[in-house]
Amino acid sequence: MTRSSVKKCLGKGLVFLAVFLLVASLSTGQAAERVITIGAPLPLTGPLSPEGQKQAQGYDLWAETANKAGGVKVATEHYKVKIVYNDYQSNTPRAVQLAEKLITEDKVNFTFSPFGSGATKAASGVSEKYGMPTIAATASSEEVYNQGYKYLFGTFTPNPTLTEPLSDIVKEKVPAVKKVAILARNDLFPLAIAQCMDASAKKRGFNVVFFEKYAIGTMDHASALTQIRGAQPEWIFATGYINDLILIRKQMGDLKVSAPVVTMIAGPAYKEFVDAAGPLAENITSASWWHPAVRYKGEDVFGSTENYNKLFREKYGIIPDYAQASASVAGCLFQIAIEKAGTLDRKKVRDTLASMNVMTFWGPVRFGETGQIISLKPPVFQIQKGTQVVIFPPEIAQANLLVGVK
Amino acid sequence: MLYLQILVNGIVLGGLYACIAVGFSLVWGVLNVINILHGTFIVIGSYTAYFAYIKLGIHPLLSIPIAAAILFLLAYAFQSGMINKVVAAPVLTTLTLTFGLDLFVNNLLIVAFKADYRKVILEHPLGVLTLAGITIPEDKLAAMGLALLLTGLLFWVLDASRVGRAIVAVRMDREAAALMGVKVKKIYALTFAIGGVMAGAAGSLISLIYPISPLNSLPFLGKAFVICVLGGLGSVPGAMLGGLTLGVLESFGALAFGPEHAVTLSFITLILFLLFRPTGIMGKRGYE
Amino acid sequence: MKRNLLLLALIGILLAPMVANNYMIRLATIMMLYCVLALSWNFIGGLTGYPSFATAAFFGLGAYAGAVCQGQGVPMYLAWILGALMAAIFATGLGLAILRLRGHYFAIASLVVADVLREIVNSTTNLTGGGMGFNLPILKLEVDAQAKLFYYLMFVLALLTVATAVLVDRHRLGFGLRCIKQNEDAANMIGVNATIYKTVAFILSAVFVGWAGAFYASWVNYIEPGDVFDVLYSVKPIVMVLLGRAGTISGPIIGAIVFLLMEELVWRNFLTFHAGVLGLIVVALILYLPDGVLALNFRRLVAWRKNG
Repeated sequence: MTRSSVKKCLGKGLVFLAVFLLVASLSTGQAAERVITIGAPLPLTGPLSPEGQKQAQGYDLWAETANKAGGVKVATEHYKVKIVYNDYQSNTPRAVQLAEKLITEDKVNFTFSPFGSGATKAASGVSEKYGMPTIAATASSEEVYNQGYKYLFGTFTPNPTLTEPLSDIVKEKVPAVKKVAILARNDLFPLAIAQCMDASAKKRGFNVVFFEKYAIGTMDHASALTQIRGAQPEWIFATGYINDLILIRKQMGDLKVSAPVVTMIAGPAYKEFVDAAGPLAENITSASWWHPAVRYKGEDVFGSTENYNKLFREKYGIIPDYAQASASVAGCLFQIAIEKAGTLDRKKVRDTLASMNVMTFWGPVRFGETGQIISLKPPVFQIQKGTQVVIFPPEIAQANLLVGVK
Repeated sequence: MLYLQILVNGIVLGGLYACIAVGFSLVWGVLNVINILHGTFIVIGSYTAYFAYIKLGIHPLLSIPIAAAILFLLAYAFQSGMINKVVAAPVLTTLTLTFGLDLFVNNLLIVAFKADYRKVILEHPLGVLTLAGITIPEDKLAAMGLALLLTGLLFWVLDASRVGRAIVAVRMDREAAALMGVKVKKIYALTFAIGGVMAGAAGSLISLIYPISPLNSLPFLGKAFVICVLGGLGSVPGAMLGGLTLGVLESFGALAFGPEHAVTLSFITLILFLLFRPTGIMGKRGYE
Repeated sequence: MKRNLLLLALIGILLAPMVANNYMIRLATIMMLYCVLALSWNFIGGLTGYPSFATAAFFGLGAYAGAVCQGQGVPMYLAWILGALMAAIFATGLGLAILRLRGHYFAIASLVVADVLREIVNSTTNLTGGGMGFNLPILKLEVDAQAKLFYYLMFVLALLTVATAVLVDRHRLGFGLRCIKQNEDAANMIGVNATIYKTVAFILSAVFVGWAGAFYASWVNYIEPGDVFDVLYSVKPIVMVLLGRAGTISGPIIGAIVFLLMEELVWRNFLTFHAGVLGLIVVALILYLPDGVLALNFRRLVAWRKNG
């Protein structure tokens, strides 16, 4: 290949590149007229789309309700609120890319985090770099908040707040429990909470006889369940997302694996789990950060938990669960912070969020040093006769723990 | 005791695996085409069974012929329409083509049916069989039995029918078969269609046991790869043997190394076989 | 005239970050990443004719090697080189093992390697964070400067890869690889040591990819096994090279650029169906444009438009 033809090849390539860059530099601006835009990168398609859709429902209900009530008050003016959705197709690198795009191209005022601890952690680097206040509606693992970031806030309390009360209840109410088996999905949140469970159990003198991880996408749990059956634990703890847990429960039934106490996180909170598992869902325990049965009166635009449930049911025809409620309260928190700060200035809003101490329909909201909420008391519940009933905290408990899962 | 249950788990799983892989193996062996669409075909079979049950009340075990028919037409169309154009082309071309097709069809499925997992929940669930302390869920047993039956049927067709002999002839030597008067292009289309049929049937059976989602297509494909290499390409008994071996391997592997490694174990086995015994356990020569 | 055009383009690339916003700079950085991946695959796939699907394995390995080193306190620039080195060493071992397989078998073996590596990373939670991902230390540099830094670094890597490609092309190695592609046995007979040549090509297909992986990890600050070992990192470079023209130098570059443009366009406009559209494009490519865009004779096309 001769010198000039090499140059020709390189030339063609470089010309393409240069032209592209020139053309691409013409980016679209955004006309802002008394509208507050909040960026929401979500997995609207792909394996996490059910969870992504829930978050979207929560955001939409808040935006609609806030706009109907006159919008968000910034000092003396009222602004409408608009959520800018971007689909990252359940692909974490895309989530990070979109987070940056929303900030630099769409020039949103604030952002919500993507779904789940993993993607939230990945995208939080971007919002920290740009000094963009971000509220995470679905991230609980402490690993997400341990980077010393100042611009990330989360509405879920750390994982031990789920496993500790649960372990207390079991220790107190079911003295027969000595051995615990843990099966965890090898993913940020499910594994993190399983590790917390392990710690909580050991702290109370339980013997963890089995602790294994299963790969994402596993469809056959027969081997793990057979081993669990062999170890005969009195308490089985399984983590994963709703599809994994439905499968595990069904295969437990197939292999006749039973125990006095069976806990699963995070599926039983959803109606879909109860519907899919049918009679197998009976007496399964779980914990989450919110439940429609709680009763709080808040400063937010919904006013109370009952009103939130009512409005949600009117719009969507179903009862909300914690995923949607968390998304809605994330919006409410931005609203409260903006109104308190009287400005859209990012640093001021961030500082207001950091020092906030308010009551909302979600519960009392106060953020800790790391940006994660520290004021919630997550409810523990059990599926009895086909519905979820709250069994902790005592203030809102509807029933007692029933022992025995076939 | 524990080991016996694990073994039984593996065998039951293996029967199903054999059905998943046999169509894929045939297509690879005869057309020398790795059909990336195979996983998606299985998923289409599952959706057929699911909707047949939801809308028409047909039990998944009985919707096998429906799924088979749909996939037959689909596969035949794909093959004569597109894949036939590249059958003699290098590996890269055929692989990339079927990959592109798979992306397209898979995305269609996701748009049409969403990526959420569906589950066939029977009104009258089949029970659990307990023999000497070993539990076998009846639906898995039924699926395995039918899978083996279908595979056996395929073997019989290849062995006894004219068309079957023609397929085997093309597999052994394309040019010679053509010289013998076999219409090779038609055989290709037919074989591909049979591959689709087996995938559809497997899909129906699978709908009984596993959740259904377009996202399952690649994991199924991965298993099919391993089974083909274990059992030898284009060989039906090979697929059965490969399937059973993989099932038992995964079962015991999960016991020994933990469930999260089951799939990795199968891939490492694949690599080892490729390096040291590419013709599989049975030693039948495949294409390069 | 041609030389001036080249110079202009070069200046354009160097100055672009001044006028473009961060998102565009990010896009351009990805484009250069794609060029590196495509050119690298070209060594083993385009020149030598071995359909390797191992690109994702090398990328992920480089990413994690770089990440873990940085986590242990190794300075960033050194960590990148270590990432590249790890990928190269791995490619040597892997190559010696699987390069004696042909066709489909080689393709599958290379494909499956990425999965195996991913699972190994997933299980060594203490070292790599496993399924929980790995966080890299953030650079003490403000955002805009960071974006530009990685843009230029990626550009340098791309230039390095192009230079290597040109060198190989002119050197006996390039000739030998082309012979192997045509007919490996014949190549052996005329004195080309196929085993050594193939292995070198395989290593070349790994070293820049590993480097790019380590870059990528530092650039995005957080990696997960499922992301960096994604099979699409193996498939996309192949499509890019086929789009351009396998075996040439400008082919992979043009293919990479066109592919990225298509990806962005498709992604922005076909929200739910982009993967499908991409699939269609791939199918159309294989069926109707098997020799790539470069094979189109532009002059004839223009003349045809003028007359018709």
